[in-house]
Formats: sequence, structure tokens, C-alpha cells
Amino acid sequence: MNIIDWILDRFRLKTLHRGIFDRDIPEGINYFYCFGGIAFTAFLFCLVSGLFLSVHYVPSEKEAYQSIIKIHEEVYLGKLIRGIHKWSANILIVSIIIHSIRVFITKSYRPPRELNWIVGIITFVIVMLEGFTGYLLPWDQKAYWATVVGTNIAGSIPIIGEDILLIIRGGYEVTGITLTRFYSFHVLWFPLIIVLLLWAHFHMIKKLGISKPL
Amino acid sequence: MKKKFYPDYLIEILFFAILTFEVILILAFVFPPLIGREIDFLAAYQPRPEWYYLWLFWVLRFFSTDTVFIGGLLLPLGIIAFLIFIPWLEKKIGWSLTALIGLVFFLLFIIATIIEAIQ
Repeated sequence: MNIIDWILDRFRLKTLHRGIFDRDIPEGINYFYCFGGIAFTAFLFCLVSGLFLSVHYVPSEKEAYQSIIKIHEEVYLGKLIRGIHKWSANILIVSIIIHSIRVFITKSYRPPRELNWIVGIITFVIVMLEGFTGYLLPWDQKAYWATVVGTNIAGSIPIIGEDILLIIRGGYEVTGITLTRFYSFHVLWFPLIIVLLLWAHFHMIKKLGISKPL
Repeated sequence: MKKKFYPDYLIEILFFAILTFEVILILAFVFPPLIGREIDFLAAYQPRPEWYYLWLFWVLRFFSTDTVFIGGLLLPLGIIAFLIFIPWLEKKIGWSLTALIGLVFFLLFIIATIIEAIQ
């Protein structure tokens, strides 16, 4: 079976479409099967609260820190929205970890669900990168130095390290260019990738069904 | 009687979605976000990452400035490669051995996070 056939088969692209309420749930599932759904709920709250934060946040060297203060002190419910964004991100990561462990223990990654497992792992990696890029955005002491230390890791790679560092930072130092760059990845690139990956994830769950508990 | 997706499981899913929102709301009210200090470009400052990067922070203590990419990049990439290839690795070496490797990585994550957090 070549790779294209394998992907077509794992996606079940050649099977009939069913209504979204018309799905089989195997017997004997427990509450640990909820954590995928909890992770998705947390992701939705991240997304919505992030949309509201982006209305007031200014991704520039001079105004970023001031705009965070403004969100806290002037924007109606601004502090609450920021709290929701922070805590749903934490819950997202915790529930993804529990969800992955559940999938591993119930051996649900076995064929025909390998591709879904891989999509899940990639989503997890992108979520971690969201955490890293989002940490810089408040543009305070902690954020700045954490990004300096974090990007220095990439800079220590032999030969290509310096070029990678320049691509990530947009210069030799962490500056406003880095901030704009991280903002773009945090609010546009990564969420877009996550949404596409989650579509694939849910599509395969719908087509392949939930794995039978052992 | 066998439970069906609609309405039995759907109502449970919605219940957990609302419960998740309530937990997030309570956490956001009880532990509101803080505003950090303004950037001081001159003062050397030892930053602490979010809790989910603390384990990596601990690992990096064992590497010098030139070799920091081994712990900071190659190790995480190795773990990601291991996770991605689990479905095929498990066929070759069996579930318990795969679980053992996974457990080692998970314990590294948990223990390193705790060591770093209590410091």
C-alpha cells in the first residue's frame, strides 16, 4: 500500500458521510474519555478570549506593556478575559496530557487510528509553541528574559544556529521585531494550523469511531 | 439499555463543557493574572518559564552555553519522534516496553517539574 492510499484509507475518504448524531459509542467507556472534549472546550475558550484580547492589545515595543495595563484597568472585564485566556491555556495543556495518556493506555493509537495519533501529537507540539510565543506578548521583564533564554537554545545549534536565531528574533537581539513576529505566530499561524489539525482529528474520530475499550 | 450518542452521551459532553468553563472562571477569579515589571534591559535577570517548560529548564542546568541545544532541542525532538512513532514502535517491541520508555519520559517531566517548582 503506498503512502497516498494509506492516508486516503486512514481518513476514510471513500466512505459515505453520516449525520453528526449518528455514531456508534462502544460499551464500557469511562470518564477519562472526556479529556479530549475538555481540551477542545478549553481551546475554544482560549480562542474566544484571545479574539477579545486582540481587540485591545497593541503588538509594538512601546505600547505592548501599556496596552496590558489598559486591559487590566480600563477595558470592561479586561482583567477577567485575560484570566480566562491564561487559565484555559493551562487547562488545555493539562487535559491534552491526560488525554494522550488515556489514548496510550487504551491502545487507541493502533491501526487504523495511527494517523489520528500523529495529528494529536503535532497539535500538542503546536499548543506548546503557542505557550512559548504567548509568553513574550505582555512584554515585561519575565517575558523578555524568558524569550532571550529560550531563543538562545536555538542559537547554540552548530553551523545553522545563528541563521535560525536571526529568523526567530528578526535580528541579533530580542526587539520589537521579535514581538511582532511572535504576535503573528501566536494569533494567526498557530491557531490556523491547530484548527486545521483539529478538523482532521475530529473527521477521523467521526469516520473511525471511538476505539473499543479493552 | 444501550446508551446512544444522542441524547445520552451528548448531554454528558455538554455537562463537562459547562463544568470546564466553570472551573476556568473560578480559577480566573481566584487567581487573577498579574502585570509583570517593566523590562530592564541592563539588569541580568533569571527568568522562570511557565510550569509546562519547567522540566526543560531543569534539564538545561546540565548543559553549558555551547551544548545547550542538546538538552533544549534534541531531547524534546527525540521525545516528539518517540511519541509519533509509538504505533510502529509498539508493534516491534511490544506494549509494555513502549510504556516503560513513555513512563521514563513522563517521570522526567513530573519529577523535574517538581524539583524546579520547589526551588
